[in-house]
This record gives sequence, C-alpha cells and structure tokens, in this order.
Amino acid sequence: MNAQRHATVVAAATLALTLTPLIGIFEGLGWAFPVLLTITVIAVAGSLMRAAGRGQGLQTLAMAAALLVVLTAGFGDGTGLLFVIPLPATFENWAYLAQEGVAAIIVNSPPVEAGGGIMFLTILGVGVVAILHDMFVVGLRTPALAGLTLLTMYLVPVSVAPEATAWFWFILPAVAYLWILGDDNLRRVSSFGHRFTGAGQLVGRSFPSPMARTARWSATAFVAVTLLVLTVVPANTSGLIDNVAEGMDGGESYGLGDVNPWAQLSGSLTRPEEVDVLRVVTNDPNPRYLRMHVLDELTNDGFEPNDYDSRESLVLDGEAEGDTYTAEIQNLRLEAPVLPVYGDPVDLAIDGNWDRDADTDVIIGSGSDMGDVEDYTLTYADPAPDAETLAAADGMSRDDARWEANTAHPDVPELGEIVAEEIGGAGTVHEKVLGVLRFLSSSNGFTYSLEVPDAGNDEAILDFLESKQGYCQQYAAAMAWMLREADVAARVVVGMSQGSRVDGDEWILTSHDYHAWVEVYYEGPGWVTYDPTPAGGVPGSVSFPWATDPVEAQDPAEEPTENDITPDPSAAPTDASGQTLPPEEGASEGPSADATGGTGDALLPFHPGWLALLLLLAVPFAPALWRGALRNRRLRAGNLTAETAWDEAMDLALDYGVSIPDSYTPRQAAGVLGTAAPGARDAATALGSAMALHRYSPRGADPAGLADALRDLYAELDKRAEPRVKYRAMLWPASLIAKLRADSAEQSARISRRSARTTDRMRSALRRPRRSNNRGKRGVTGRA
Amino acid sequence: MTFESSPEQPDGTMPLQSTAQGQGPAPLSPQEFKATAEAILTNVEWVIEGKSHTIKLALAVMLAEGHLLLEDVPGVGKTQLAKALARSIDCSVRRIQFTPDLLPSDVTGVSIFDPEKRDFVFKPGAIFGNLILGDEINRASPKTQAALLECMEERQVTVDGNTYKLRSPFMVIATQNPVEMEGTYPLPEAQRDRFAARLAIGYPDINAELALLDRREEYNPLDALRPIADAEMIVRMIAAARAVHLAPELKRYVVDLVAATRTNAQVRLGASPRATLQLLRCTQVLAAMDGRDFALPDDVQQLAVPVLAHRLIPTTETTMGGGDTKAIVSDILRHVPVVSHPGRF
Repeated sequence: MNAQRHATVVAAATLALTLTPLIGIFEGLGWAFPVLLTITVIAVAGSLMRAAGRGQGLQTLAMAAALLVVLTAGFGDGTGLLFVIPLPATFENWAYLAQEGVAAIIVNSPPVEAGGGIMFLTILGVGVVAILHDMFVVGLRTPALAGLTLLTMYLVPVSVAPEATAWFWFILPAVAYLWILGDDNLRRVSSFGHRFTGAGQLVGRSFPSPMARTARWSATAFVAVTLLVLTVVPANTSGLIDNVAEGMDGGESYGLGDVNPWAQLSGSLTRPEEVDVLRVVTNDPNPRYLRMHVLDELTNDGFEPNDYDSRESLVLDGEAEGDTYTAEIQNLRLEAPVLPVYGDPVDLAIDGNWDRDADTDVIIGSGSDMGDVEDYTLTYADPAPDAETLAAADGMSRDDARWEANTAHPDVPELGEIVAEEIGGAGTVHEKVLGVLRFLSSSNGFTYSLEVPDAGNDEAILDFLESKQGYCQQYAAAMAWMLREADVAARVVVGMSQGSRVDGDEWILTSHDYHAWVEVYYEGPGWVTYDPTPAGGVPGSVSFPWATDPVEAQDPAEEPTENDITPDPSAAPTDASGQTLPPEEGASEGPSADATGGTGDALLPFHPGWLALLLLLAVPFAPALWRGALRNRRLRAGNLTAETAWDEAMDLALDYGVSIPDSYTPRQAAGVLGTAAPGARDAATALGSAMALHRYSPRGADPAGLADALRDLYAELDKRAEPRVKYRAMLWPASLIAKLRADSAEQSARISRRSARTTDRMRSALRRPRRSNNRGKRGVTGRA
Repeated sequence: MTFESSPEQPDGTMPLQSTAQGQGPAPLSPQEFKATAEAILTNVEWVIEGKSHTIKLALAVMLAEGHLLLEDVPGVGKTQLAKALARSIDCSVRRIQFTPDLLPSDVTGVSIFDPEKRDFVFKPGAIFGNLILGDEINRASPKTQAALLECMEERQVTVDGNTYKLRSPFMVIATQNPVEMEGTYPLPEAQRDRFAARLAIGYPDINAELALLDRREEYNPLDALRPIADAEMIVRMIAAARAVHLAPELKRYVVDLVAATRTNAQVRLGASPRATLQLLRCTQVLAAMDGRDFALPDDVQQLAVPVLAHRLIPTTETTMGGGDTKAIVSDILRHVPVVSHPGRF
C-alpha cells in the first residue's frame, strides 16, 4: 500500500470511528451501512484522483461528485438520470427531504428512525465532512486540522442527544484523532531516514523518545486530574437541542406527526416546535379528548401500549347512548397508525381499511395509516355518566376475562402502603378513584413540571410521588397504577387534548396537545375517563364532571359552567378535585414549568441555541478569521509601521510556503519574495527597504504606501499559489501555527525539563542512590 | 629593495595629521564619499579586469585602516592590485620583497653613524610609507615577520629607544602564495589576526582575460593611472566612514556572528574581539561606499568571509575532511538569524 492510499484509509477509518456515537441518536444500525458506504465511496474517489496525480482542486471535485452520485442513488427517488446523475427534479426532491429532515430534527427526540429527511441530512453532512477530512488529512497533510472535522462530527450527537451519548463514546473520536496524528508523524519521521538516539544507537521508527515519555506522563496526569474533577464537580449535561426545543406546554413530544405511546414514570419532556396537527370542525360545544392509544401493560417504568392483537373489522351500528355530535377532522400532519376519535364512535366516513381492537376500542389501520388520510368525518356519542351512577357502580368483576390484564402491576410494597393509607377506607370503585385524584391534586402539593426530579428511590413511581412534580405521563401512569394496586381495573390512554378554539366550532390541535389520561372500568358504564394531571399544565385540558363526589356535586353553581370553559387555559380551569386554580399556579412552579407561561415565541430561529450551533459550524474557520483579524490590525493606519508591515509580509511568505530563513536580511528576503511573486517585485522591494531603514537607519522609515504594497504582495502570492497552498494559507495559516508553536515550545520545554527533574527525583527517592560511573551513560542510551 | 628617504623627516618624530579628527575641511557627505570611492574603483579596475568585488573589498579594508592579506597563486595580479590602489591615491608606496635573509632592520630602518655630524642618524626602513606592499611575506624569517607585524599593529617604530610614528594613512598589503610552501615560514595564527581581511583574487574569466590582452598590447595600463585622491582626502574618507550609524540590532548581529565562530563544532579557535571591531569598521566603509550613512546586515554578510575566515583555526577533523574556514563562515552566515529572537530556540 503506498503512502497516499494508506493515509486515505486512515482518514476514512478515523472518520468512521468518530461516527460511532451516532448509535445513540438512531434506532437500530440501519444507518451505518449507507454512512460507511458514503465514506468509502468518497475516499475511493479522492484516492483515485490522487493516484492519477491530479491536484487538490480536482480531488475535491471528484469527492463532491462521488457524494452527489451517492445521494442521487440513495435519495433521488428515481429522478436521476440512470439513477446516479442528478437532474433538477432530484434537487427538488432533496430540498423537500432537507426541509423534512430539519423539521424532524427539531421535533423528534432521539432515538429516531434512520430514514427519510434525517437520513438524507446525515448522509449529506457526513459526506461533506468526509471530503473536508480527506482534504485535511491526505491532501493538505494538516492532520491537526482534521481534529476540527472530527470534533464537528462528534459534537452532532453530543449536542442533539446528550443523554443518549454516553461519555465513553468520546474515547473513539479521541483515539481516532491520536491515530491520525501518530500516523502522520510516523510518516514524517520515516521520511527523514533512520532514527538514532542521542547516543547514536539506531532504533526503529516507532521507538519512543524522551519527549514522548514526557507527553505520556502529562497525558496520564491530565486524565487523572480530569476524572477527579468530574467526580467532584456535578456535570451539567443539558443538551443544546433540549434547550432550544424547550419552551411550550402541554402534550407529548414523541414526534411531529405521531404520539409517543408510552406513559413513563420518569424522564423529562422535550418540547418540540408547535405545529398544527389536526383541524376539527364539530358541533360539540366542548369536545373532550381525542383517544388514540391505550396503554395497559404496566412495568416498573410505566405503561406500555397494548399489542392490539384482538382486531376485528370495524362495524359501527349508528346507535349510541347520550348526545351525539359530528366532527369533521382534517389531518394536517398526523402519521399515527391509529385513528384519533372522540367518545364512542357511532359513524365514520373515512378512506382506507380500519379495524377495531376489541379489548381497547382503539381504531387501528389495517394497511392504512393516518399519513394516508386527509380528512374524515366522525359521528360520536359523548358518554357522560353522572357521578351518582358511578358512585353506585361496581368495579370489574374478578371473573372477567379482562381482569388480569387490567389490574396486573409490579409489586412495590412502598406503593402498597401509600395506597392503603390514602384510599384504604374507600369502599366503592368511585371512592377509590376520587381518593387517588385527591391524592394527586395540587391541593396535596402536586405540581406540573416538564421534568421529574430524581428523588433517589429505586422505583420511578416513588420518585414521582415523593417529588410531586411531573407531567401528564407520570400523573396518568401513577393514577392507573395506584388504582390497580387497589384492585380497580385502570389503564392509560394517550391521545390529544381539546386543543384551542379558532372560531365558533373550529378547533386546532397542535403537537403540544398530545396528552395522556386514565380510563377506569365501572361495571355498567364501562370505561370512564379521568385526567389526574393538574389542569394548569395542560392548556387544552377538560374537566370531567363525574369526577366528583355525588354529594358535593349538588352545588349547581360550579359544575356546568366549568364544563364549557377552557379553550383558553387562563380561564381558571378546575382541577380534578373540583377546586378552582389560579391560572398560573401550576406554571409558576419550577424552572421548567416557567417556560410554559408563554415563551413559545422563543422557538423562533433566533434562539441563542441556534447561535451556538452557528458558532460550532464556524469552528473550522476560526484560524482563517484570526489570521484576517491579525492582518487588519497590522494594516490599520495607527498601527502600521515598517516593522508591522514587514511582519505581515513574513507571515504571508510563511502562509504561502515561501521559505525565508532567519539569516536573510530584509533585502535578501524581499528578493526571495520578489522571485516568488514577480508581479509584486516592486512592492516586495519597497517593503524590504522600508524594514531595513526602520531597523538600521537612525532616521527610521516612512510607512506610507506600505499597506498598498502589502495588498499587492498578498494578491500576487494568492494568484500564483497552487489551489492546495491557497486553501491551506486561508484555512490553516502556517504563520499562526508557527506563533503558537513558538509560544508553546518554550512552555513545553519547561514542562519537559521539570517533569524530567521530577521523575529523576522520584526515582532517586524510590531507589537507593547508586554511585556508579556508567549510570548516566545507561540513561542516555536507553539500555536498561 | 629600495630605501627612499622621506623629505618630511626631521630627526626623531614624524609630524602627522591625526587620523580620526581632520580639523580643517568639512566632513564628507555620503554622496561625495560614494563618488570618490567609485572613481578610485573605476581607476583600479582599469588595471585589474573583472574583479570589481575584490577591489571594492580591498578599498573598504584600506579605508577602515586595516591591513590586507592577499593569498593567491602567482601571476593573478596581487601586486598589480596593490600598485593600482596605491597609484590611484596620491601617496607614497613602498614595496618589500620578503626573502629568508631579510632583516628586521631592513623593514623598520636603522641608525647609522654620520661621520660629518659625528652622530647616529636614523635611516628609515621600507615601512615608512602610506601603502606598503609586502610580497611573499611567508618567505621572510619569523623574526622579520614579527617586526613587520608589530609595526602594523602599533603604527609606530621604535629603534634605539626612539619612537617614530608611521604615516597616515598606513596600510600593508601582504601577499602570500598558498601553493608553493617549501622554504616558507607560514604566518602564525596570532599574526594572521592582525590582518583585517584576507582576499583571494582568482583567475580572470575568459572575457576579462581577452580584454586584458587587448589592453596590454600597447602599454602597461598601470603606467597610465592618474591619482584620484590624495592622502588628505583618504584621511577625510576614513573619518567619514567612522561616522556611519551602527544600529543596536546590527551590532548584535555582528556579535552573534563572531560568537558563533567560537561555539562552532568545526572550529578549534574562533574569532577575536579584534575581529568584531574590524568587521564593524569595514562594514561602515562598505555602507559609506554605497552612499549610506547607516550600515546594513547585507554589508556585514559581504565582509564576513574575508574578515573572519583567516582567523579561525579549524579542528583537525575538519582539516582532514577537506573543510576550510571559508565554508565554515558561510555556513555560520546561513544559520545566524539577522535579528536574534531571545524567546526562540
């Protein structure tokens, strides 16, 4: 393998290593193959072009072309010529994919499915980084700069999903970087010829040098100190995207177009950008919740969705008890496999094939999906059992086939104690329900929060009950579990809350209206809906009039009017226990809940988080910006002297690879510059003479015209430079590196001396001092 | 060997203008200096074809009040150069052909008994001139060499307890043949140090040699030379050159260069502080000859090899390996930074 191919392979392999943290943000490993394929294709394209002896420009072009081909083949959707050559239609398709990808990135929380727009953006990003990386490592031979590309790559998963990216993923990018540096250094060293120790002993090229030993010691020490510091200082792991996305209130955040069919007892809620999901026109004056998923499988972490394996074909008989309403529902971007429905559906006009799950009454697509549905019309009954009926009703019979599935719960003795204490005296199902609702009410100290604090218990539910903070998932799951603990059949339902009234009978439901609540089974009335979440946290929440004690509910002033409320959350909703809440009470507790108070505007693109992302992307251009700033500072009229002009000229020479030894006088250096830039020979001579006058003449030099001379010289050098040199001068100016090196050389030498002294001192402290003549010699030759 | 008695020769001491402070005339401007120097150079080049750089350095050494050692094979024009220089300046020229039997008194002069005055009268030796041409200096016995070199350094002669000042300007151009070494007494290093610079003339190139043939068909051009400047003018030029500005950076550079000869691994003995002084003075002259009143490192670099190389004693390994001191000085020039960076390594 020749050097070029070896370096290419190293570049590709290191990039692939750095991509491993992406495991945390994608579901499965399906993304890995296309990503690795892209890296490989780009590396091969670059390598072939190099092998053909072409310059950096053509290499970059070839790699970019390879990326285009990969993208066309993978994401062209058949629009490309011969499937690999992009046509205008292909680009349109890409633009669409990119938009979709951006939206999906904003909305989804990891892990996401590897497909569609996100995958397109991933391949595009990886491809661009792969081109830059190859350019830095192989083309320009500036492996240090490759650290920036690796860092950029690593920061993507870290900033998107800090929690999904475990700390140890950092090791692989770090190792990759060291590999690049080490490999390049070995190449460099071996190009010198043979290596000797100070004593003249011939050694292999990987023989460790005393400097390397110092470096190893320092590295070990730094790692130790860092680990120590990390154990002492609490780490702040709030992620960039989290902060960007955090802001609004209510609902779920599983995805823009789908609801997360889980009710977890712990975690934090990531707020997506608010987008409209459904538009509903209904003659129901106060629509309740839209039911989607039923969660009845309880684990220690919370409720999981039913498998919906008792499907039967959807037959609606058109008859129902209670009032019936008709809703025309327009799908704006919902993509769920289940159909959101109000109450008890009576009639349904919809395209596609839909089944009903007998156990849960969920209407589920059979080969159809909400993504295919543009609108549907639903006629439904609003089951509104009155409190007295419920108070009189029994729970589910123990002989019922559904009993086992709807009361099963993990054994948590502490929870059993809480339940026995709170509702132990309750006799009927309804008393138990009201007891749990009271326990979870804000009058008992429960507040709405986007994050469940970790109270240090083994069980997540105990954490929630102790900290009394959480969002709808925790409230729903806790209520259902507590009821199951008290032998009441209960399950969690996920869907959408009421949304907000646009005008008259039109309602808009957004991605912030995803919600979770509870259904409790009463013998007779069937499954009855309750919402234990504090209403202040859920803008589209509805109160359920039957959730009251029939004796107290006699007060007519409170009940009916409260039912008609709540498109506007500030209109003092009642919480489940019937007490009126100040509108902002729930929102004013805790820092996360604060954000619910109406900071939705902060989701605009001017959020500081975006600025941070922008800065991140600018990182590779930092050296160029620094160099430009330095040049401007030197050329500013107040600062410009023959000396600053000359410094700039010397730095330009360094940047463009014009070698000017220290031992050259200004005139000689100007001569060399003039040869390198024949069009600016006069400018170079003027600069050199001015410097000679400035430094050696008692009268000094006049800086007038030197700025123009410098600009001429810069333009001419830039014009004459090969593209490779030009890019390097721009992105990775050698003069800057030389400055840094000069600064650090002294320090590293000092550290090296000090560490050698310390080592010697430690050794002599550990060993008995030996008075041997050949001790020093043995130290030098490394023969022990 | 001729001894000419000097007209302005009273008994005992010589009346002399001071070298440094010419009292009467106004100091030379850089332009005047440059014009005069160029006129002298053109004059000398009339005789020595195609060697303008060597001639320029020779004149620079002369105006820096240094002595010049011309080391080259016979017949390349060492003597011609010395004579042409001397003729271009209206001053007295003495030539001493060194042989093994030359006595020190032949150089310095001797007191002989004048029967008429019934007293000892000092008969000045060949050293009493402005420009002394010492041919094949390495053929003289060490004793005679020592006498000459002492005069060169002290610019005065002491005979029988009387001290006689030498003329100003005073410059010795000594030649020696590096090839034919039988029966010679090579100059000791300590004495080579007295020469400000060592120059080699080298063979002329083809065109210069053809031109030389053409010109010498009819007459010897040396005979046609007219003096350009007189001794007084030379004294003024010497004074003007001493006023050339030396920037601190430049002094530092010269010191760095000389210091580098002392630490160089190939050198057994480096250059002396006298070398530093003479290098700086020659630098000043070269700058003035360029019409400048300040010196540049470029001037130093032109002079470093002629001024430093002959003073270095290479290690035995270097000599055995065929290295010579000119290469060492060139190497030092390539490595010593023009501006020293105290922070850098």
